[in-house]
Amino acid sequence: MPHLGFRLRVALFFVATIIAVQALTAILGYEVARRELVRQGGAQLEANSNAFVAQMDDIAARVASSVQVLSQDYGLRSAIGEQDHGTVLSILRNHGRRVGATRMQLVGLDGKVQADTAHPGTAAAPFARPALLEGAFDGRKAAVVAENGTVFWQVVVPIYAPQPAGLVVASVPIDDKLLTHMQELSTLPRDVEMMTRPAGKPWAVVAHGGGEARLPPGFFAGNDHFPDAPVLAQSGGREYLVLARSFPQAAAGDPEVAAVLGYSLDEALRPYRSVWLTWAGLVVLGLVLGVLGSVLIARSVSRPVEALAAAARRIEAGDYRAPEGLRRNDEIGQLATSFQAMTAAIGQREERIREQALHDAVTGLPNRVASQAAIDRPRATSEATLVMLGITRLPEIIKTVGHALGDRLMHDAGHRLSDLAGSRLVGRVSDTQFVLWLPDAGRTRATELASRLLDALGRPFVEGDFSIDMGPAIGIACAPGDGEDAATLLRHAEIAQFAASGSARGLAFYDAATDPHRPDRLSLMGDLREAIDQGQLTLHYQPKLDLASGRVTAAEALIRWQHPRRGLVPPDAFIGVAEETGNIGRLTRWVINDALARARAWTEVGHPINIAVNLSARDLEDPDLTRRISDLTALHGVASSILTLEVTESAVIADPARALQELRRLADLGFKIAVDDFGVGQSSFAYLRQMPLHELKIDKTFIRNLASDEGDRVVVRSIVDLSHRLGLRVTAEGAEDTAALDYLREVGCDCAQGFQIAAAMPAQAFAERFLVDGTTA
Amino acid sequence: MRRAYQTLAGLVLGLAANAHGGTLVVHVDDGHGHPADSAVVTLESPGRDGAPPAPATHTIDQRDETFIPYVEVMRPGEQVVFRNSDNTRHQVYSFSELKRFEYVLRPGASSPPLTIDGSGIVAVGCNIHDEMITYLFVTSAPARVTGKDGNARFEDLAPGKYPVRVWHPQLKPGDQGARLEAVVAEGGPATPTPVHLTLLPDPRASMDREHMGY
Repeated sequence: MPHLGFRLRVALFFVATIIAVQALTAILGYEVARRELVRQGGAQLEANSNAFVAQMDDIAARVASSVQVLSQDYGLRSAIGEQDHGTVLSILRNHGRRVGATRMQLVGLDGKVQADTAHPGTAAAPFARPALLEGAFDGRKAAVVAENGTVFWQVVVPIYAPQPAGLVVASVPIDDKLLTHMQELSTLPRDVEMMTRPAGKPWAVVAHGGGEARLPPGFFAGNDHFPDAPVLAQSGGREYLVLARSFPQAAAGDPEVAAVLGYSLDEALRPYRSVWLTWAGLVVLGLVLGVLGSVLIARSVSRPVEALAAAARRIEAGDYRAPEGLRRNDEIGQLATSFQAMTAAIGQREERIREQALHDAVTGLPNRVASQAAIDRPRATSEATLVMLGITRLPEIIKTVGHALGDRLMHDAGHRLSDLAGSRLVGRVSDTQFVLWLPDAGRTRATELASRLLDALGRPFVEGDFSIDMGPAIGIACAPGDGEDAATLLRHAEIAQFAASGSARGLAFYDAATDPHRPDRLSLMGDLREAIDQGQLTLHYQPKLDLASGRVTAAEALIRWQHPRRGLVPPDAFIGVAEETGNIGRLTRWVINDALARARAWTEVGHPINIAVNLSARDLEDPDLTRRISDLTALHGVASSILTLEVTESAVIADPARALQELRRLADLGFKIAVDDFGVGQSSFAYLRQMPLHELKIDKTFIRNLASDEGDRVVVRSIVDLSHRLGLRVTAEGAEDTAALDYLREVGCDCAQGFQIAAAMPAQAFAERFLVDGTTA
Repeated sequence: MRRAYQTLAGLVLGLAANAHGGTLVVHVDDGHGHPADSAVVTLESPGRDGAPPAPATHTIDQRDETFIPYVEVMRPGEQVVFRNSDNTRHQVYSFSELKRFEYVLRPGASSPPLTIDGSGIVAVGCNIHDEMITYLFVTSAPARVTGKDGNARFEDLAPGKYPVRVWHPQLKPGDQGARLEAVVAEGGPATPTPVHLTLLPDPRASMDREHMGY
């Protein structure tokens, strides 16, 4: 763990505290035990020293009583009485052996040695320690003396025969053997030594007892003062309690004698050592267990917390799996359980929200967002098809029967779609539109499926008394040709679907060429304004051949745009845009202005060619149209009859009353009015009759196959007849072969236009070709 | 050393105030203020001994394992008989220079009369019972043994100065006892003459030599 968790810190604190307390306790315990040992040892030492002295006295008493027996020996008494020296010596030796004395002396009442087992032949000499003799008759008299490096008990016993007759001095050596024996018989301390100091010499050990804890040799060497109370002393790294008992000198000048009793603290502490070791082992064990326990507890706490934290991060990232390994019975377990419950709840809620966000409530199908996401998903095949199906009549249906039934209808439509779609995505992308995403289908299969869809949705929706046609229309966009991303495909499919809804078949593929919503069109409009100002536009002229005279008497002005970057832009590409963006008025004015200028120029050179220009439906909506055109005519100073205004039937039909009114005003001013593309639109003779027409232009679709198609011939002949009867001139468009021209001439058509005569061409070319040597009228 | 510093204290004499002469009373104590009995006080100067003539034969009885008396004063040439009044056997002996002897006395028996010639002290013991001891003080001079009160009394002495010797069986070995000069006044009151002795413990039954305090 990189950092200490709370519990670990708490546990470590306790462990540290325990260790500190234990250490203090240990030190305290050691000190107490040691002091107690020192105290007890001291007391014991003192008691032992007393016991030692008492034992020594006992030895002296024992020797004395033994000698006492000797003194009452009648043989000795009589030998002394009879002054039998030899007998006395032998008796003394004999008794000396009995009492363990190495030397026996008989001292007379005059203080002179009469017999000495150590020096049998010596003459009477004064006894070395008269003071020892003096009190002998008073009672006890014994002394510890040192002689020749040996310590003796010298015990003096009087001899009565029956009155005092002399003194026996017994010398019992206090040697190692005796001391060891004494130690064995008693509770003497661990070590005892006898030391002497002859006058002027250092102390020397002359005897010591057995035992393990021997005082080091020379312990008191050079030490004058003997401790008469227990003291602590160190020697050789070991500690001793030491007490000395000195023995009174029996005679001045005698070597001093002392017994040193030692008590080894180390020895005394030895029994405790195992206790210390056990204790230390327990502390270490406790420490290890404590630390181990702390770590385990900390881990058992931090692990699940970390797992919960990780789970929280996963939830943040949207992964709602339950955290693992948290089945516990403690608080963490409860937290984990709550956590899991919370996670599950969040997951369910999110699922519901996602469902709502990505699905259409009415049909239960994926909505636009979900569909878009599905379409954008990478796919295995390069070809894919997006089918958009619009229920075109839905707004009308809702207005008629309400939203509830509309919803049920859409629900039903969704079902029908889904049944056909199988596993493929069906989504509802708008109120009226469904999509079907075919990620593996090309154009052919899509067409096939679309047909089946149209069949399925072609059946009316029946509910109760209502039987409602849905009016399905299908637009199809194919990836990658019509776009790759969902947004583009959807947009293009929608455009196709709009196109389809106007068609009889009800099915259309997206066609970029006719797409009125291509983005480049917007930029084109800006360019168009510049083009008008900067003269990028030019008018080309297509001749109209007067079939009766065989002369070109009129021309149709057709606009051309030489774009500086795009090159030649076809009129289809920008006229529609101009209409939609409100720029058509301006364009039309420019065309008319330019055409009038040309007409004037040509008129001035003797060629009063009638020039026809096209008016769009939007132009007819402009209330100022008539005034503007008449102003231009006046400006150029030409007769209004030189200008022919061509309109299509559809332009009139958009707002017939207004269009007709405008056209009449123009006609009243002398402008010639022509109907363009006659025959392909919703040709209405009712309008045709009301329009102030001068000319009728038959659409090129009737003319193109005139040579071979009998039907077209009949139509053309009929139109020509009808027009002539109505007083109209007739012009045929798209005359592309001589056969057509011949037939047109035959049926009495007034004019013809088309490649067979000439394509549109610049004014200069037109003038050079058709306005020479008086070919015009 | 600790040799008798004993004081030859009082020369003050109690003189006999009667017509017969003076009286000398010597009071012996053991140095601790206790009167000492069994001390022998001898007047060494020639003079009339007012004491009755001593019997020719002295008897030393042995009763309860004790010699009775402890000290017997004799004149040279007199006889002594040791009589065993106990129902145990006694072996009476002496190694003294004055007289050496040894008798085994059955219960109720007596020794033959033993004549002591010459002056001196004869210490007599029993070889069976160590604590038994008695002293025969043989002298030709007037001598008295102190009683329980520690007093020895001499009557009808002519006034004058008398050398006095005081001996006791429990004197330390080598201690010759006290010597002093007593003055006897005419008819005066007998003021005791004090004598201080340093004595060893009584060796007789009262003490056990085998347990002498070791």
